[in-house]
Amino acid sequence: MPTPEFEEEEFTTQFSGRIIARILGLAKPHWKWLVGFLLTIALTSALDSYFTFLGKQIIDQGILANDRGALVRFVVIYALLIIVQAGNVFGFIYLAGILGERIQYDLRKKSFNHLQDLSLAYYDRTPVGWIMSRVTSDSQRISELTTWGLLDVTWAIFSIGTSLLFMLVINWRMALIVLAIIPVLIVVASRFKKKILIEFRKVRKINSKITAAYNENITGVRVVKALNREEKNLHEFSGLTGEMYRAGYRAAWLSALFLPLVQIISSLAVGSVVWYGGLQVQIGSLTIGGIQAFISYITFMLWPVQDLARVYAEMQHAIASAERVFSLIDSVPDVRDRPGAIDPGSIKGDIIFKDVNFHYEPDNPVLTDFNLTVKRGETIALVGPTGGGKSTIVNLLCRFYEPKQGSIYIGNHDYMTLSLHAIQSRIGMVLQTPHLFSGTIRENIKYGRLDASDEEIDEAAKMVSAHDFIMGLEKGYDEQVGEGGILLSVGQKQLISLSRAVLADPEIFIMDEATSSVDTITESLIQKGMMELVRDRTSFIIAHRLSTIKRADRILFIDDGRIVEMGTHASLLRAKGHYYRLYTQQFRRDLEREFDPFREPSPAMT
Amino acid sequence: MTGFHFIYLAATLSLGLGAIARTASYLLLRYFVDDVLGQSPSISTLILIALGFLGLALIQGGFTFISGTLAARTAEGIAQRLRNYLFDHVQHLSFTYHDRTPTGELIQRSTSDIDALRRFFSDQAIGVGRILLLFVINLAAIISLNQQLALLSILVVPLIIVMSFFFFRKISTIYELYQEQEAILSTRLQENLAGVRVVKAFARQTHERDKFERENWEKFQRGKHFLTMHSLYWPISDILAGLQMLAGIGIGALMAMNGTITIGTYLAYCGMIVLIIWPMRNLGRLIVQMSTGLVSYGRVSDVIRQEREPIEIGLDAPKGGLRGEVIFKDVCFAYSESDLILEKISFHCKPGQVIALLGLTGSGKTTLVNLLPRFYEYSSGSLTLDGIELNTYSRQFLRQHIGIVEQEPFLFSRTIRENIIYGVNRKVSSEEIEDTARAAAIHESILSFPDGYDTLVGEKGVTLSGGQKQRIAIARALLKDPCILILDDSTSSVDMETEGIIRQALRRLMRGRTTFIIAHRIQSVMEADLILVLEGGEIVQRGTHEQLIAQPGIYQRIHDMQTRIEDALEEEIASANT
Repeated sequence: MPTPEFEEEEFTTQFSGRIIARILGLAKPHWKWLVGFLLTIALTSALDSYFTFLGKQIIDQGILANDRGALVRFVVIYALLIIVQAGNVFGFIYLAGILGERIQYDLRKKSFNHLQDLSLAYYDRTPVGWIMSRVTSDSQRISELTTWGLLDVTWAIFSIGTSLLFMLVINWRMALIVLAIIPVLIVVASRFKKKILIEFRKVRKINSKITAAYNENITGVRVVKALNREEKNLHEFSGLTGEMYRAGYRAAWLSALFLPLVQIISSLAVGSVVWYGGLQVQIGSLTIGGIQAFISYITFMLWPVQDLARVYAEMQHAIASAERVFSLIDSVPDVRDRPGAIDPGSIKGDIIFKDVNFHYEPDNPVLTDFNLTVKRGETIALVGPTGGGKSTIVNLLCRFYEPKQGSIYIGNHDYMTLSLHAIQSRIGMVLQTPHLFSGTIRENIKYGRLDASDEEIDEAAKMVSAHDFIMGLEKGYDEQVGEGGILLSVGQKQLISLSRAVLADPEIFIMDEATSSVDTITESLIQKGMMELVRDRTSFIIAHRLSTIKRADRILFIDDGRIVEMGTHASLLRAKGHYYRLYTQQFRRDLEREFDPFREPSPAMT
Repeated sequence: MTGFHFIYLAATLSLGLGAIARTASYLLLRYFVDDVLGQSPSISTLILIALGFLGLALIQGGFTFISGTLAARTAEGIAQRLRNYLFDHVQHLSFTYHDRTPTGELIQRSTSDIDALRRFFSDQAIGVGRILLLFVINLAAIISLNQQLALLSILVVPLIIVMSFFFFRKISTIYELYQEQEAILSTRLQENLAGVRVVKAFARQTHERDKFERENWEKFQRGKHFLTMHSLYWPISDILAGLQMLAGIGIGALMAMNGTITIGTYLAYCGMIVLIIWPMRNLGRLIVQMSTGLVSYGRVSDVIRQEREPIEIGLDAPKGGLRGEVIFKDVCFAYSESDLILEKISFHCKPGQVIALLGLTGSGKTTLVNLLPRFYEYSSGSLTLDGIELNTYSRQFLRQHIGIVEQEPFLFSRTIRENIIYGVNRKVSSEEIEDTARAAAIHESILSFPDGYDTLVGEKGVTLSGGQKQRIAIARALLKDPCILILDDSTSSVDMETEGIIRQALRRLMRGRTTFIIAHRIQSVMEADLILVLEGGEIVQRGTHEQLIAQPGIYQRIHDMQTRIEDALEEEIASANT
């Protein structure tokens, strides 16, 4: 269940220099590109301002001075600069864009690699969806801020700066009037943009509610019909869409107001230029071209101001994203190699749990003073109610978690002195819900040992009787399994994950048997495959099938983090305790389930 | 879309007025330069001109704002109307339609396709309108100033339009490829996170890193491709538009020198030509986006064209209420002519009787009971309820009087309380809800949840077990107090103790109601008044428990199994003792 801390929070983050420095640090390895795009964008904005100035020169020194030579000269310069400008535009789009993609690539790589090192405890407390959006959308937002955001800011600042410079050159008094209006523009614009952004966020929130409502009503449409809820549901839903209409309209209304408002403020500047400029022209200190240039500069200034406002408003969002991504990258794995951890080359031998204590949450102990010795090659069946601690024992053995107190010895080593790789690469595991990766069957089996040859893969599949069903598929070993193995049945997935474990040839074998039923033939294949694996290997099986339990060397009935009963099948049945009850209950149900009244009675029944 | 035509027209109109005001301000500039500046103007004239600029800016801003809000009102209004309509439409489509339409498909059409339509009206159509209006108005203004100049200014415009159209069509496919890779990348990530135990169990971190790296790198490459396209298009169109503008400026300047045009005309021209040429570069983008909007329109209207299931048409509430007598006579059902799901089903069920249906998955049990609330329409034969043909009753009436408890009931992500009262249309007191929950043997479990009856069900709240869901559904049905009950009696997912509790709750629910049980186990069938054994859509055995165990056949075999199991178990235990 997602804890509140993982809910998508509202952003209250303040600008933090440390975070911004760290975000910029992401671009450091690619500083050449960064410098490249900053230079080209600065040049672009300077040239843009110069074009306007050229327009003035054409008027004043060409037309008004009636100088054809000058006119041709300016037009030629203009044309050449258009080509140069095109080069600049190419440069900044290309450089900034690729830098952005690169930063995104780097961030995702870094987070993914780090995720591989994090321990299971992290995954237990962090919802997958939360991690997903850190790696996908947050990384994207950060890369956008460092590239397009930075680009817009640079462009805006240089545009405003160079425009002002040219205005100062043309007429410094009038430039000062314009200079006075710019801060007003920026403040109004950024306040406004922020408001708009908040509205759009509201829209997004309602939108996800609408999607959820659709989702539920469509998946549950049969119940809706059966319970005659159509009218009520529509009523509730139109409440949502009404909210959506108001929020969407308000956001659009504000956006529609934004540009005219900024335009009107800047037209104040145009007005004063006309008024003041008109007087100056009479005095002769300003030319017609100069007025034209001023009007262009002011009208044009709208865009950089708008960009500044937008980036400023979005920045907070991106910084919050960065904080979350960094929190992921910075989280320290709970289970790590101790300094001087070794790989002894083999971990065969007895396994000893000595006074092991463990809990997931501090006030909720799972194992208390747990002791167990398992001889090399022994097969242990773990049975008992859900939540009793069976999986915890296995998780500790794999060192997915470490004991809070006490120690675990594998083959005469305290396993804390071993490297994680030394332990985990020698343990083969088959999970209750077998997880396959999208790809072919061959690739999935090969996961057990990456350098295995095709023959070895066939061999492994044959050993657990998976070969026949695989060959029965259209493309055999090259059949795609689909995302999460969706194209295969549960039983088939189990056979493949058994093959995978066989191929890995582990020294310790762990299996969490599936509770869901598979058809009888596949079931017996799985049983056979499992027999192959437990032979000569120290094995732990969280068992649900009676046949598995009966075959184990030792059965442990685990409840409340303790071994309640321990012994062989026969001895435990004789004891008539917990195991006896579990067994008889399961026996009845298994046979009932197996029984198919629409076929002749199965041989087991006669 | 009726009712929005006028508003949208008004939006376009004010867009045009705004554009005219902008062009007018260039004409004012022309007047200012030609007729005012030369004449040593008085301060009041200057102020008037300045106010003129301000006024035109106000008009322009005002109309831009008005057109923006009107377009938003149209777009949001249409979207709202469509959302509501589609929501209601989908819940009125028949089971048959839902059986063959994937839910994901419907959800996508209701959400992202409608959003595409909204953008069509709010951004794209209005954007195209803006570009065209700017073009027409400014071109007209330039023509009025000087025709030759006008002709000269639009030489490359067709080229820019064609280029932008082809570019954006191309870029949209490239962008799709890029997005596809993004999807692949996040699937890769999701798989890795879901399979984290396997990754760790086989110590395959390096392998996983390599796999992710490949996709990540591919994404980077595709992003590069996408950006390269952009970084080529924009400068090239910049050169085209820039040179076109320069040509206009240069020749305009020459004309101004010759005195063909005044200096003021030249200045106004310089301003207007910008509005003709630069916006054109975006025309292709908008057109390509609009075409996706049209695709969405097609997809939405596909759903809308489906015929609704009329739930209110038909007979309502016969005098004295329902008794619950059901007679099937040669009832057949088929999706299409070739695959008959039910074949000549005939049986008689008196009020208050319990009918048990036994059979494998696909034998037609579920379809048979789904005929009763008219989820499906039987294709031939006669099916009567209290002596009246079933398809003369309105669906709404039938559904109000039939309660259903499914095998794995669907609960809504609302509170438990809301889920229990989901099916009733009256006010229900807290006491009544709790009493019902007690009768359904779920009261205690509910109290153990953090917020009791106000605990949310589903992702954001508690996850309920199959048995708990089933008991909530029982409570839901109890509260509805139906005349006919349909039970899908599967208790295989719960433990023995819970199974007993559920069985008791069900017994309370069935009291005094005509009940159809889809049975999976013999215990729930034994007390039935009539047991129907179905195979391949036909009734192969019928009778009471006593009658059926005396006949050789499927039922007898099921029954015998129970005793055999006990024998086998005893044998097992005996062998352990030796």
